[in-house]
Amino acid sequence: MTAVARRRREYGGRFKYALLLPAVIWVIAFTFLPVLSVIRYSFANYVLGEGVTGYVGFANYLDVLTSDQFWHSIAVTAIYVAITVPVETILGFIAAWLVNLGAPGSRGFRTIIGAPLFTLEVAIGYLGVTMFSSQGGVVAVALSAIGIDVPWMSTPEGGLAAAILLDIWRWTSFIFLIVLAALSSIPSDLYDAAILDAKSHWQVMWRLGIPLAWPVASIAILLRTIEGLKVFAIPFALTTGGPGTSTQTFSAMDYLTTIQFFDFGKGSAMGVAFLIIVSAIITVFFRQMRKRLD
Amino acid sequence: MSNRDGADKFAELAYAYLNRRIGRREFITRGMQLGLSATILAKLARPARAANLIDSAPEAPYESPITPERVAFLKTKPYKGTTINVMVLKATVGDGLKYHVPHWEEETGGKVNVAEVPIETLHQQIFSDLASGLNRYDAYMTGCWFYGDFFVPQTPYIVEIDEFLKDPKHSYWDPDQWLPAMRKLYSWNGKLYGVLFDGDAQALYYRKDAFADPTNKDKFKAKYNYDLPDPPKTMKDLHDLAEFFTGWDWNGDGSKDYGLALHAKVNEQGFFHFLTLSGPYVVSPDNKYYFFNPDNMKPLINSEGHLRALEDYVKLASDGPREEISWTLGQGWNLFLAGHSAMEPTWGDLPTLAQDPKTSKVQGKIGAAPIPGTTEAFDPIKGEWKKYDLNQVGNTNGGTWHCVINRKSKKQEATYDFLAFMANKKNAFFNAANGWTGVQPGMKFEYLPPIGSGGIDEFKAQGWNADDVQEYLKAYYAVISAPVQQEYLRIPGTAEYWHELDVNISAVLGGQMQPKAALDATAAAWEKITDRYGRDKQKALYQASFA
Repeated sequence: MTAVARRRREYGGRFKYALLLPAVIWVIAFTFLPVLSVIRYSFANYVLGEGVTGYVGFANYLDVLTSDQFWHSIAVTAIYVAITVPVETILGFIAAWLVNLGAPGSRGFRTIIGAPLFTLEVAIGYLGVTMFSSQGGVVAVALSAIGIDVPWMSTPEGGLAAAILLDIWRWTSFIFLIVLAALSSIPSDLYDAAILDAKSHWQVMWRLGIPLAWPVASIAILLRTIEGLKVFAIPFALTTGGPGTSTQTFSAMDYLTTIQFFDFGKGSAMGVAFLIIVSAIITVFFRQMRKRLD
Repeated sequence: MSNRDGADKFAELAYAYLNRRIGRREFITRGMQLGLSATILAKLARPARAANLIDSAPEAPYESPITPERVAFLKTKPYKGTTINVMVLKATVGDGLKYHVPHWEEETGGKVNVAEVPIETLHQQIFSDLASGLNRYDAYMTGCWFYGDFFVPQTPYIVEIDEFLKDPKHSYWDPDQWLPAMRKLYSWNGKLYGVLFDGDAQALYYRKDAFADPTNKDKFKAKYNYDLPDPPKTMKDLHDLAEFFTGWDWNGDGSKDYGLALHAKVNEQGFFHFLTLSGPYVVSPDNKYYFFNPDNMKPLINSEGHLRALEDYVKLASDGPREEISWTLGQGWNLFLAGHSAMEPTWGDLPTLAQDPKTSKVQGKIGAAPIPGTTEAFDPIKGEWKKYDLNQVGNTNGGTWHCVINRKSKKQEATYDFLAFMANKKNAFFNAANGWTGVQPGMKFEYLPPIGSGGIDEFKAQGWNADDVQEYLKAYYAVISAPVQQEYLRIPGTAEYWHELDVNISAVLGGQMQPKAALDATAAAWEKITDRYGRDKQKALYQASFA
């Protein structure tokens, strides 16, 4: 190897690392250091105005894991995700299938259904306050006109149901758009062949559409599950977690603990505990997804 | 010491004060050491500046009274090129502050940027700015229950205002006009930190026309076997009236009406209802402690008195619409203003808002009274019930929203000048007389004679019904100046202590918890908060708050 080539190679190697450096710095600064900081705080007693006043071992974790409120917020979040994600997936899939078939009004529907995606979640939550109010709220009045009186805002079940309905309204379009893209990418001759063999369009969807769109749809479901586990704005803007803590999701509880009341110790322990729980869920989800794909 | 010596020493002291070599506080303290009464000294000290006042000046169209030094100062447009940033509560009180911004800017040449923050995040936004060292704001509008948090660091986050107050170039206002219970809320360890704005307390407002209706009186007597209590004096009266007026169309508009309006949404300000209504069950001439045992900081919140109060509160809540559990402040007021509720225990915003015929159907129909009392109160320290003829308790529950100045602000003087401008009598009176500002009267001059110097015509000029304002101010003063006052918690972490109480009360109203379990859970949570902040430190501050 000539000296020039050796120098070029050395320079090339250094240049490669130099190109990587900004990304590495970014990840260290904005991922690793905050995570390390959260872990450190989770073992500390933190007081607003004084900072860390001492280290308390696993006391914060013990406090969190033996707290009814923590497990209640996990349960609320789990119920929320268990209802919203499947319903959004089913509705999104059906809507995408109909639009892909070219059902009447598809073009306009495609535009309208996307609108909630571009609306702020917190605005949707506040909108819900007026929609579900028994004092002239459009949903409450419409249901009342047909003799159904739902205590949307005055009971734990009503509040959670209202938040779930708003979430479904907001996020169904996300699944719809992704599944529609997947369905549109299926070659039309496959559809033509399937339609000849099948008894109905539903059979085509079941046997062809879902299997072929599944790899893409599963990513959408995964993303929705992750987002759902972090849900905050819609239920909090709608009910501020009440009555009591009945609609308080994990994120709302952690927000109040850490950000509102500056209990960084307990809030960090909550975050770490939740990260472990979510990681376990996501791992199981990935395994199942890989099996389906295989 | 002979009388002669004393007189000479006092002359020296007065000379030093009048020549501004010593401050007002030192004048009073040293005067007291000479054996003179603090009240007389305070009165002597006040005219030094007040005597110098003039009614108005063309340079200060928005201020009255005003000092000549202020007039000269304004001629120079002293804050031209200076911008101050103020964080306010996004609510009526924030609107009230914003109203004065263009006026101050016109007089001084300065500029004010106002950032509005909703109540759910106000505490967090204020203390994030301070604790992170960002210090983007020169002043913060604070609720008084945030006060303790400003004093956790060795050097407090905010500055005392005594030095500014002494300087006659700033807009004139007189802290001696404060009702004592209000002044306390603007102070810490006897030093003033807040500049006058709001003065909150909760009283009972009711429909005096419905109470005076002979048919209603007859029906009430037939049902409860005693005369309709107008106004209600005891909690039993309140409960009977609330029940009586619930579930039928007593206002004749064709729809069902209610006995009592509340706003009980969690993470808002609903818990103040419970604090106020539970006061007479625990606080009495024999016990002033409501929150903690001052000897060991053990919570008192799950005492027998608090428990009975919560059980009664749940019954009262059933005399309003089911949905009020999710109502914010405005929604609770609207029920009363729309004429559908016979009573509401709340702040003075209600009668002031009732004067606006666009939003109110109850102008001229408002009665006001102190919060009803009990005939039995529990002493949580001694652990015993004690009987009283009538145990009525005053309160200053609420935000008493006002601004404090950031110690790290580089524009403290301009910031104070803006805040003092709003505290000037002309502006302060305007605030107190107009409901949309969210400001209630905390100064004597805002009350009618013989308490203060406010004229009924001044209120009428702001659209008040004469009867309404008299009822309101009389009751409001009675609440704030009641000899037995409910304590106001201001130690560090108060927002968190109250949050725990708030969610547990809301859980009881929502049917998630039983009252006893809710109060026990609150007490357990309070113990953890106290331990986190440091029990001894909290104990010292709690004890100091009663000093």
